[in-house]
Amino acid sequence: MVLKIMCFTSPTCSWCPYIKDVLKRIVAQTEHLELEIIDITKDIDKAEEYDVIALPTIILPNNQRIIGAADEAFIQEQLDFFLDFG
Amino acid sequence: MIISTGIEELDNMIDGGLRTGNCYAIKGTAGAGKTVLSLFMTMGALKQDIPVLFISTEVEPDKLIEYVKSFGMDFQPYIDNNMLIVDKMSLKPQGVGLVQTDRFDLSGIITRVKKRIEDIKAKLVFFDSASAFFAEFQYEKTARSSFMDFIREITDVGSSLVLTAESKGAEDFTTLEEFLVDGVIKIRTELKNNQLIKRISVPKLRSAQPISSENRFIINKQGIMILRSEQPPTILITEEETGIQRLDELLGGGIPNGTVVLIELDGETNYFPLFLTTLHKHLNQGKGVVIHSNVHMYPAKILEEYKRAKTDITKHLNEGNIVFIDKYNRSVTAVEAREMRQLMTTDDMISVTVELMEAFEKAKQEVVLYGDLTDDVNILSESNFLRYFALQSFNVKERRAIAYSFINFNAISREILARLRTTADIIIRFSRVDYCNYIECLKSSTGATFLPKIVKFRDTIPLIEIIG
Repeated sequence: MVLKIMCFTSPTCSWCPYIKDVLKRIVAQTEHLELEIIDITKDIDKAEEYDVIALPTIILPNNQRIIGAADEAFIQEQLDFFLDFG
Repeated sequence: MIISTGIEELDNMIDGGLRTGNCYAIKGTAGAGKTVLSLFMTMGALKQDIPVLFISTEVEPDKLIEYVKSFGMDFQPYIDNNMLIVDKMSLKPQGVGLVQTDRFDLSGIITRVKKRIEDIKAKLVFFDSASAFFAEFQYEKTARSSFMDFIREITDVGSSLVLTAESKGAEDFTTLEEFLVDGVIKIRTELKNNQLIKRISVPKLRSAQPISSENRFIINKQGIMILRSEQPPTILITEEETGIQRLDELLGGGIPNGTVVLIELDGETNYFPLFLTTLHKHLNQGKGVVIHSNVHMYPAKILEEYKRAKTDITKHLNEGNIVFIDKYNRSVTAVEAREMRQLMTTDDMISVTVELMEAFEKAKQEVVLYGDLTDDVNILSESNFLRYFALQSFNVKERRAIAYSFINFNAISREILARLRTTADIIIRFSRVDYCNYIECLKSSTGATFLPKIVKFRDTIPLIEIIG
């Protein structure tokens, strides 16, 4: 089973490039995990669907949301919690 | 482009209406009526065929549409015609866990709102409420500073943005948004005589000089009403000529608007010359006239008296410039008539007052009111009469109207006369000594009183001549 992390970004959002790199690194290191990066200016319907207000918004597979650019350790910690649990 | 709010008095307060490309904040404490005002403004714009985007951060769209119905408005046809979008946007959708950091911006909501604006070409955007929106952020400061971009981006596309924001303290004037917005509409509630009274003001307005006064703000099922408080006297006091030149001179130009004139007479002096002369003058100036009719003041009698002075006011009667309010002809049976003293109760006073207000409402021009108080004072109990007089005086002053109240000072007690004199702004007294009539002014709002002067009655208008 592959679990998906979604990351909403936009070209104007200053923290987005950073968080994209962080997420890409995490996904590369973890099995069963894939990353979907959504540029809301291109896919506004998805932003509507997920009610995205602030950027970056990261939606973890357990529907947990992270608003804003968290550091790698923090995201890893959040992931570990439910990956272990799962 | 200027968008009318649909509330005339509010338009006056913000220099004609909302400007596109500008941002306004409606501030007020919880329950002040910020959302209701926004909804009424939405309807006002829709009625002018201006597309509106209404974003709520707290309430679901269907609930809001239902709520609007309780004020007799229906948003649905406008939504169906792509004139209106009602949407909810909040940071935390239901059932979602949230972790926040302080490294974010609001470009998500900006992009979504701009898309919505584009969809219906919205010229007016409501954001209700900014306070509730910020409250969802753990790092509120970051959200607020990013909100500047939101304001800038929305106003840059040529829409007018209206935010609602809760003010916490009584004089909370330093929140970030207030520096950014072009206008602030403030609703304040205060407890007065166990009643919550709302007041509305415009403390900031970039496009024009803000109006310094605070007006009454009333929300009921019929809608929103803004009652203008009395403006500073230097601006609004204008004087109306009475038609008797010498009297105007003696009073210093005439009778100021918003004045209750008490005319005291002995039982023998006829007040019709003064009544007819001033009435004629005011009608010719295009004023509406309300007459509390009684046994003397009724249409046929007035026409007859004018005929004697070779003047015809049928035209004014036909055009409805004169409204008669009949106090004593309200379904009085023989039995009731015997109990007349009890009959004219507080309810009757209220109904007369309501009729007067309606007459005021009908008359678009400024209004002059005439009434003979002598009968009232005999019919009503003393306290009821004084209350009635005070009530009517308030109405007159609020509407900047002029009231002429005639009273026979011989027929009432000294106490009542004294109290009437306190309420009245101008007191004119007619008296008679040895078959010679005199007029004098005992009190006036401008301080221009004068000693008894000889009065001569004439056959044609003006029916009164003051000598000396």
